[in-house]
Amino acid sequence: MNAVANVVRAELFKLAHKKRTYVLAGLYWILYPALVLIVGNVIRVNLAGSFIDGNVPVGTLLHELASPFGLARVALVGPGYMSPSFYMIIIALVAALLIGEERSQNMWKTTLVAQPQRLAVLTGKFLVAWLAFAVLVIGATVFAFLFGALGTTFLGTGFSGDWSGLLTGMVMQVLFGAAGISFAFLLIFMLRNVALGIVSVFFLPALLEGLYMAYATLVGFQPVTAFNAVFQFLRLQNTLEELPRYFFTSNLYAPSRGLVGSVLTDLGIPAEAGGGLLFSTLPLSHSAMVMGGYFVVFALLLAWRFKRHDVA
Amino acid sequence: MSENAIEARGLTKRYGRKHAVSDLSFDVPFGRITGFLGPNGSGKTTTLRMLAGLIRPTAGRCTVLAGPVPGPTLRDVGTMIEEPSFYPYMSGRKNLIHAALLHGGVPASRIGEVLDFVHMDQAADKKVGAYSQGMRQRLGLARAMLWQPKVMLLDEPTNGLDPVGIAEIREALRAIAAQGVTILISSHILAELEKLANSVLVVERGRLLYDGTLSTLLNQLQGALVTYRLRSDDAHSLEETLRDMNLEFSRLDGDVLRVLVPQDGAGDLIGTLSARGIRLSEANREHDSLEDAYLRLLREDGRPV
Repeated sequence: MNAVANVVRAELFKLAHKKRTYVLAGLYWILYPALVLIVGNVIRVNLAGSFIDGNVPVGTLLHELASPFGLARVALVGPGYMSPSFYMIIIALVAALLIGEERSQNMWKTTLVAQPQRLAVLTGKFLVAWLAFAVLVIGATVFAFLFGALGTTFLGTGFSGDWSGLLTGMVMQVLFGAAGISFAFLLIFMLRNVALGIVSVFFLPALLEGLYMAYATLVGFQPVTAFNAVFQFLRLQNTLEELPRYFFTSNLYAPSRGLVGSVLTDLGIPAEAGGGLLFSTLPLSHSAMVMGGYFVVFALLLAWRFKRHDVA
Repeated sequence: MSENAIEARGLTKRYGRKHAVSDLSFDVPFGRITGFLGPNGSGKTTTLRMLAGLIRPTAGRCTVLAGPVPGPTLRDVGTMIEEPSFYPYMSGRKNLIHAALLHGGVPASRIGEVLDFVHMDQAADKKVGAYSQGMRQRLGLARAMLWQPKVMLLDEPTNGLDPVGIAEIREALRAIAAQGVTILISSHILAELEKLANSVLVVERGRLLYDGTLSTLLNQLQGALVTYRLRSDDAHSLEETLRDMNLEFSRLDGDVLRVLVPQDGAGDLIGTLSARGIRLSEANREHDSLEDAYLRLLREDGRPV
């Protein structure tokens, strides 16, 4: 445990000396809520007293977007719908710093001599990446709340909202981040190239899932054709049709995307309209199991590879 | 407890079909400075990496401080393998703080001590990205000493240093060794190694050619031939006589001849020349340097040098 604690202390020291840490925090904690408040004020000034779709007052919209609760909720939901997701941008950049840089700066030979216990090095780096992710996400919620509180003074918004649901979503998103971090560590370590690793972290899951969707759309699994006969023969068609429920991205962002339902309800948008928002209705318990599985697989692969790695 | 700080037995590393190191066995006793010699690509760095636990041997095993590698005894090892690397966006001091945190148990005051020891205290707060190669070498040595290791594995530690820097590092290593630290050091600057090392390991194509003290190596290789420097007022007659005696010689600057004489006839050379009427104004027996011995050793191994 001492060795892991030493690695955590050292890597936190390094993280604190990297500009990208502060850039990410600045973007997520300051720029984003400030922009939303500005947009909120523009809406208030130009559309005060109007109704959206004839039945939702603009004040409600402002509350959903720019109140302390609304801002904090959008801080969690927004990153999950960006492409590439801001969550993955955080994870990939931190992983590049902690894993990729060791290779690009030829530092493994130094790190693994200063701390020869390889699993302790890996565990310590993982914990630091997870901690950085948690601090950025929790910090974004706190800053969103503070900016929202400021907004109450000129937007006429209040503090009400389902805070317990929001905090549960935030904690779950932080926990799910562990699978994303192990995935990013594995790819950046295996590909031995930081830039290629980052690009792969962003796009490999989406590429694989996109290929599946293209196949499902163009060929399909029913009825039997020359292209899908093999799956039918192997009795895999049901599994393949169920596959999207186990996709990495849709489950990774399930806690944040799950919060979209409450936004729609509050804005009076029919629930079925939310179907267009990809797999936002996956049960959280299912996603937790799926991400737990991904985490175990990626972590074991990484640990096995890292322990055998020759530092050339 | 073993009297050796480092033991290697049948150490082998293959990359595909290429043997980087083949069946290397040697011991490095406690408290000694051992030179590690060999031409480029002979397997020195690969061996040092295996001893530091950075790469896994394909076969064989090694122990450091009586513990298997990899293992907990590596905490007492300091290394500087090839060009030292650092985080360029941090200062030299912060790089050392990072390494100290990573290792654990290093008092804060130790950072200043090692910086002072390698004369880097003035530049310690500049970013490493702005350092010259010599400064990086010094900082690398400071980092290798940071946790007061009992064994140091150094690969070309004087690379890129000017003569003053080389002399300073030499003195620093002597001072470290005087504290009982075992040092295994590879270097291309053989004259430096000669001034520093108690014993040498010579490797070539991944195989061990020699393992022993420096003086034994020199004596062993001097056994075959002895070198004399001779000068005569009548250089022409001297050359004729040497040809008559079937001795190999070469002309150095001026009238000085460098003559190779078989060991068994070396004692009679001056007398024989005198008997043949050659009056010598200068006659000196040369001692082989480590470089001569090293080059001869490689020649004997069939390598063109």
